Amino acid sequence: MRAKNLAINQNGFAFDPDTGESFTVNETGKFVIEALSKGMDEKDIAEALVKEYDVQEDEALNDILDFKERLGLYGLLS
Amino acid sequence: MIVAVSGINDTDNPGPGIGVARSLKESDASIKTVGLSYDVQDPGNYMDFVIDKSYLLTYPSRGWEPIYSRLLYIKGTYGLDAVIPTLDAELPQYIKYQDELAAAGIKTFLPNSKQFELRSKENLKEVSETIGIVYPRTKKVYNIDQLTEAVKEIGTPCIVKGNYYKAYKAGSVPEAVYYFTEISNEWGFPILVQEIVKGEEMNVIGAGDGEGGVLGLVAIKKMTTTSLGKIWNGVTIKHERLLSVAESFVKSYKWRGPFELECIVDGDNIIMIEINPRFPAWVYFATGAGINLPKRLLDTMFGKECDRDGEYEAGVMMVRYTYEIVTNIHRLSTLATKGESDG
Repeated sequence: MRAKNLAINQNGFAFDPDTGESFTVNETGKFVIEALSKGMDEKDIAEALVKEYDVQEDEALNDILDFKERLGLYGLLS
Repeated sequence: MIVAVSGINDTDNPGPGIGVARSLKESDASIKTVGLSYDVQDPGNYMDFVIDKSYLLTYPSRGWEPIYSRLLYIKGTYGLDAVIPTLDAELPQYIKYQDELAAAGIKTFLPNSKQFELRSKENLKEVSETIGIVYPRTKKVYNIDQLTEAVKEIGTPCIVKGNYYKAYKAGSVPEAVYYFTEISNEWGFPILVQEIVKGEEMNVIGAGDGEGGVLGLVAIKKMTTTSLGKIWNGVTIKHERLLSVAESFVKSYKWRGPFELECIVDGDNIIMIEINPRFPAWVYFATGAGINLPKRLLDTMFGKECDRDGEYEAGVMMVRYTYEIVTNIHRLSTLATKGESDG
């Protein structure tokens, strides 16, 4: 998964060292990418988000799925 | 050590000479650089912090003899140990007469004529296959009928390009005819019609030792380019497959000297666009990233063991900028009348 190689700094600037592409993600986006890189599934990530942020689990899960779809569009899940 | 470089036209369409000279000076402050210029107004003639002395040369189209005489004059009056030519138009002559230069005590490190021909677009398909990448569907044409047929077969938009120089994107047959005429008038035949491929443009700078060994490689992605397609901002990348393709190119052909590979990359699919048998204008970018190829080339030229470390960081960024030198017109008049700077 390409997202695993992204170098993300504390401001959410993500750089892909393979292709030179760069992206900006917010704090939760960074959280999700890092969790996906560790091999966590969507449900585990949603549970982790609930613990960290003021959000319901089903809402967090939907947002994660939506975010994953976007990562896929950028080819970062291949 | 006195080293001459050409391509000191550090303009909005820069030659590689200033990047080469700057790399050499930064590696060893005792190296003196000579600028070989074709125009009194080349900025490099006034950049005395990079070029120690410049000389005007006649255009390569006037033949080898005036260039050779000029180099001998420089050697006799100022001193000259090596030349690093960087412009496409002069390379064939330097390659052809590299032994003559060596006999005169002026070293070069260039590909041989056979290697030089590999970068001809007619040969790129075979080169691409040898190093395991793809070459876009291409048709060779010599007249308008063949061009029309090729454009219809490949579809629009397509690229209309010369065998060595110039490439344009054509959106229709009339547009293709326009570019066909423009390129063939300037550069002759054949003209190539090529499909447009999707992906990101990525480039690799490198140099080979002539025995299959790599002196160093750096891959980059252009982040922004000028209207002429020249890099303005860029970033180093570590696309392992692209770097291994460049290494395979050096090994397969025992490439001697500098080169630039221009490719389109779509995932792991790499498509060849061009091979330049010289340093690109962004050569100093690689130096800044830790791989000083002009210095490695110079060391190899003189039979010295050079640093071949290939390690550099991805994410090193280059930002080009503009700058002004304010000087006395006396410098221009000296160059115009004497053919050389005060130095």
